[in-house]
Parts: sequence; C-alpha cells; structure tokens
Amino acid sequence: MILFDNVSKLYPTQNQAALESLTLEIEKGEFVFLVGPSGSGKSTFLRLTLREDKPTAGRIRVAGKDLHRLSNWKVPHLRRRIGTVFQDFRLLPNKTVFENIAFALQVIGKPRRQINRDVPAVLELVGLDGKEDRLPDQLSGGEQQRVAVARAFVNRPLILLADEPTGNLDPATSVGIMKLLDRINRTGTTVVMATHDQSIVDQMRKRVIELEHGKLVRDQSRGVYGYTR
Amino acid sequence: MRFQYVLSEITTGLRRNLTMTIALVIVVAISIAMLGAGLLIRSQAETTKGYWYDRIEISVFMCNEYSTGAGCADGAVTDAQRDTIRQTLESHPEVDEVFYENQEQAFERFSEQFDDSDIGGIITPDQLPESFRVALQDPEQYDGVVSAVSGLPGVQEVTDQRQLLEPLFRTLDGFQLVAFAITIIQIVAAVLLIGNTIRLAAFNRRRETGIMRLVGASNFYIQLPFILEAAIAGLLGSVLGIIALFVGVELIVGRFIAPNLQFTSWVDSADVWAATPWLLVAGVLFSMLASFVTLRRYLRV
Ligand SMILES: Nc1ncnc2c1ncn2[C@@H]1O[C@H](COP(=O)(O)OP(=O)(O)O)[C@@H](O)[C@H]1O
Ligand SMILES: [Mg+2]
Repeated sequence: MILFDNVSKLYPTQNQAALESLTLEIEKGEFVFLVGPSGSGKSTFLRLTLREDKPTAGRIRVAGKDLHRLSNWKVPHLRRRIGTVFQDFRLLPNKTVFENIAFALQVIGKPRRQINRDVPAVLELVGLDGKEDRLPDQLSGGEQQRVAVARAFVNRPLILLADEPTGNLDPATSVGIMKLLDRINRTGTTVVMATHDQSIVDQMRKRVIELEHGKLVRDQSRGVYGYTR
Repeated sequence: MRFQYVLSEITTGLRRNLTMTIALVIVVAISIAMLGAGLLIRSQAETTKGYWYDRIEISVFMCNEYSTGAGCADGAVTDAQRDTIRQTLESHPEVDEVFYENQEQAFERFSEQFDDSDIGGIITPDQLPESFRVALQDPEQYDGVVSAVSGLPGVQEVTDQRQLLEPLFRTLDGFQLVAFAITIIQIVAAVLLIGNTIRLAAFNRRRETGIMRLVGASNFYIQLPFILEAAIAGLLGSVLGIIALFVGVELIVGRFIAPNLQFTSWVDSADVWAATPWLLVAGVLFSMLASFVTLRRYLRV
C-alpha cells in the first residue's frame, strides 16, 4: 500500500537530511506506529506519502501509484484515497460538525444525496451522533479530534495518516481516539500513525517503525515504544 | 460541479472580505476609467487627424509674367507647360483629384480673404499665380508628388499643407503614444493590485484551502470561488468605471471643450458606448486572469 524505496529528503534550508535512504513497505490493512524523537522525520514521511512534498532521491509508491510519475493534476485523486488527521484537528471554526465533514465531500464534488447519507453514518461511527449542529468550540478536544477523524474517513479512504493525533489530548481521551482508529483499521483501512505517546504504543502492540535522524532504526511487528533504549 | 456550493462559497467570500472586495471594485473602476480615457484620447487624436487630413492639399503655383526663379525663365507659364504639369499630376498614382485655379479665381479668393483691408485694391489678377490644387490619395504620401512637379518648367513653387500641419500631427502622435503608455501602465498596475488583493483573500482563507487540498479537491475547485469573486468584482468595477467615463465625457468634453473649441469634432458618449463592451470584457478578463495567475503561484498542490 505504501512503499518507500531508498528515499531521502533534504529540505533546502537544512544541512541534515530529514529522511535518509529510507526503505520500508506497509501492506494493505496494516496498523503502523511511526515513532522517534521530535525532528526524526515522522511528519516528513507522512508529507511525502501525501505528495505534499517530493523526495530528494528514491521512489515512493502509494495505493499503486508511482508518486514520482504522478502528474500534478492527478495528485488530488491520490489524496481522495488518503485520509489525514493532525494534532491540531484543523476544523473550520465557523462550520458545524456536520458542515465540517460535509465540506470534505462537497469540495470533491459529491452529490448532496450521498452527503446526507454518509455524514450521519460516519458521525455515528465516531460516536458524535446528536452533536452534528455544534460548532467546534462547543466541543471538547477529544470530540474535535473525532470530527477530524470522521472527516478523514467519510470518503472511505484506503489509507489513514495520523500525525500525533493524541498530542493535544489527555490519556483517557487518547485511548478513545485509539479505539476509534483501531475500529477504522478493522474495516480494512491501512493506518499509519506518527506518535510520541509511549503508553499507547505499548498497549496496542502493533507494528512499530522507529526513526532517528531520518534513518530507520527499528521495524518490529507487535512492538513497544522504547525497545532500543 | 456542485453549483450551489460554489455559489455559497462566493457569496460568503465576498461578504467576509467586504473591504477587500470594495478595494478590488475601486481598483478595477479606476483602471477601467483610465483605460477608457486612454482609448478616448486615442480616438480623439485619430478623429482630429482625419479631420485635418481631409483638408490637406498640395498647391502647385505656376509662373506669371512677374515671376522670377529657375522654372520661370520663359516668363509666364505656357499652355503646353500647363498641360504637361496637369498630365504629370493626373497620372501620378498618389494623386486623388486635381483642381485648376486661374488668376481670376485666385483674385476672388484673395479678395475674400482680405475683404476689409486696402490690399484688395492694390493687387490686380495678373499679379497672382494660377495654380493646381491637388488632393492626395494618402495624405501621408506627398513627397512623390512634390518632387514630380517641382522641377517642371512653368512651376514657380510647390507648397504642401502637410508641412504646415506637421507640428500638429506630431503633437497628436505624441498624445496617442502617451495615452498608450498610460494604458499599458494602468493595466500592469491593475493586474498587480488585483493579484495582491486576491492573494490577501487567499491568505485569509488558507484554512479552508488547506483542508480542501488535504481532502483532494482539484485545483480548479479550490481556485474557482476566488476567480469568480474576482470576475464579479471586475464586472462591478468596470460598470462603475464606464459610468465615470460617461460622466467625465459629458461634463468635460460635452459641456466645456466641444462648445468652445470647434476646430475638430470631439469624442462624445457614442464613443464611450462603442468602447463599453471592450471595457467590460477587459475588466472581467483582467481580473480573472490576475487572480488565476496569482492563485497558481499561491495555491500550489
Ligand atoms: N518545511 C521544512 N523546511 C525545512 N526543514 C524542515 C521542514 N519540515 C521539517 N524540517 C526539518 O526536517 C527534520 C524532520 O522534521 P519532521 O519530519 O517534522 O520530524 P518529526 O515529525 O519527527 O518531528 C527536522 O530537522 C525539521 O527541522
Ligand atoms: Mg512532526
């Protein structure tokens, strides 16, 4: 589903590579934790997967597409097959919960009928039914992140990328989000989650990929967070 | 394409960026008014030139018995010489029409011109030269005709009014050039200003556009509301600019210049009407183009 082949990324302003000769493969339906200290290249990995940026060297394949050869105008179609969740939720403050999720479908030209069917369904999935008319600032952080997950998942993507989705949440709330991501993973969606959160990684016992200074230092199935230290 | 979504996106965009929209409308209005003024100056210069061109002629004065000069060595022009001159003129490709004026006619014209003065009494017809008045095919092309007849025997002098009017034409050419330069500068300034305004609008909505990119909205879909916003502002601005132009022409030219300066015909609201479709198209098109170019640079995938 995601294939990095000897990928390096050097940002123009930086003299150390954000990713260095990274080779790894993530299969369809996997749940993968991407761990490593701040600045180790986790977000860069996700950005490259989304084709928000291009690698300096190496090849990337995502959902059967060679990103190197993917023309700019086809990038939106790639992104429709990938859901994304961030630490800061990225909701539109002046739109309700329903509208925030509907927005993601509207802007890719989905018909109203489908929106009115899919948005309530995904709200129920994330446990927010009954709150569709609230504005983001009338929700708790955990609830806001559920809206963001709902928006990422409403179009049934092949892949869900999450960049420290629990970074702003307390441990109890984080567990709820992790259960949600696990449920989404069980529908067959590949989930890649970058995180610092040791207890979550230790509890879930999923595949762990650890980066340090942009290099792969560990790739372990059913791993824990701090294995090498 | 979900039309309703686009529509609501535009109206909220226009409303949210009301000050920006107003700025955009004003920029376009001023630019279109200036652009229109430039076009009107051009057509005014064109009209004035045409007005004077129609009156340009070459005069070929022939020798009378008092004449001195190289061509008049044989005294007054002979019938044979006059026929040669006439044939030369009439067969010349740049000549449109040839009129003959004999000494009596010259005297009448002379008397009319100096009606009130005493000179009329002193001059007699035989002191005046007979002449050919030559209208040209193209008033710009007079050199050929002048040189064709200048050396002929019996020709005392060839004068062309073009020489007299040359400074006027040069001034008009200058006007046209300046108007053209102003128009170009105005368009460049307007495009930059519109681009900047749209960039600010895009910056204000970077949250939305960021999310749109993330969920896979096409560039077209992301840019469309901005471009349509610019088009609407462009249309409003053009209409205002054109109205200003009508008012300006009516007040400045219609009330003030035209009644007082009658040496040519002046631009009027008919000329503004003629320019209106172009100005509307230009206002809308340049606004859309400016925003499109800006967004291409600013809202990359
Ligand atoms: N847009 C950017 N421009 C320049 N350098 C960047 C950019 N994004 C990240 N970096 C650098 O690349 C390295 C990896 O960053 P990142 O992928 O964000 O790590 P992580 O997400 O693991 O904290 C860091 O040294 C960071 O400073
Ligand atoms: Mg990061």
